[in-house]
Amino acid sequence: MFGVPENEKNGSHEDAAVLLDYSARKLDAVEVARVEEHLKACAACREMADGQRAVWEALDCWEPAPVSPDFDRRLYQRIEKEVSWLDRVMRPFRPLFVRHGLPIVATACLLFVAGLLLQRPADVPGPNPKPEITADQAESALQEMEMLREFNRIAPADSAQPQM
Amino acid sequence: MTERVQSSVGCLAAALDYDAELMLRVKEGDDVSFGLLLEKHRTSVVNFLYRMVQNHAVAEELAQEVFLRVYRSRATYEPTAKFTTWLFRIATHLALNALRDGKNERTQERLDDDSSDLPARQVADQRQTVEQRMVYQARLDEVRKAVATLPDKQRAAVLMHKYEEMEYSQIAKVLSCSESAVKSLLFRAYETLRARLAHMA
Repeated sequence: MFGVPENEKNGSHEDAAVLLDYSARKLDAVEVARVEEHLKACAACREMADGQRAVWEALDCWEPAPVSPDFDRRLYQRIEKEVSWLDRVMRPFRPLFVRHGLPIVATACLLFVAGLLLQRPADVPGPNPKPEITADQAESALQEMEMLREFNRIAPADSAQPQM
Repeated sequence: MTERVQSSVGCLAAALDYDAELMLRVKEGDDVSFGLLLEKHRTSVVNFLYRMVQNHAVAEELAQEVFLRVYRSRATYEPTAKFTTWLFRIATHLALNALRDGKNERTQERLDDDSSDLPARQVADQRQTVEQRMVYQARLDEVRKAVATLPDKQRAAVLMHKYEEMEYSQIAKVLSCSESAVKSLLFRAYETLRARLAHMA
């Protein structure tokens, strides 16, 4: 309860919010009957309800004023001034982008990742290439082979001598 | 986890609130939905602001700013509350700022403004006699002056409660305060109005 003096808050008065709603005709039939029953017996609440009803009716005479006919035109002019050229170009596509933007972005991301994966094997180094043999190395190797052959030819003769 | 819960709450709010659904379409670039929101809320926003600042030209200027801010915020909009709560939070914020910034220079102008720029009411009044028109005008002036005497936040609360038929909880969200604070604001405001307008019954 609000508004009713503290010394009257003994349960014998109606809640002020209920009285406001009663005057505003916002209560259902059961509540209205209950409040009206209370008002018959309570002079303070009856006085408040009567005063509130008078205020409500007085306020009713303040009817809504008509809006200027060019209100919308002026508003849309102000809106147009604020909208950038990019917005104007994108405006027809915006609903399409908002509805389908996410799938499009997701597909683009997938394609990008797939492209990276496909490109990757070419970057991975393969088995070690055979080392190139230079002419010097080949000549050196041939000389060593020649020396070994020469050694093999001499070696059996030398090894046979101690057996003698 | 928290983000998922918030998202679910947002989706639920959007499902329950057709305006929030329209705003989500605006977020997707659907300008027709913005037009529908403007059509639906234009009059209530202009009138709320008019009753707040009591100057029709200023009210329309502020209402333009409200819808401009709604449009600007479309990309970041999340349906975490009712659309009208968000809309009136912007409107109230602008109105309170306007009242604070131009209070001294406009107060007298507001009270002297006889709203001669309201053609609909004048058309409706054509069937009335001169005497009836004068009585009506006197009553209206008294109501406007009584509302103008309320502190800004009380006035905003009363206007949302009376003319926008908002629940206490929604007004609390608009004014960023507790529900009990709103009830207190409303009670004090109506108490002032009862003292000034009760004789009009």
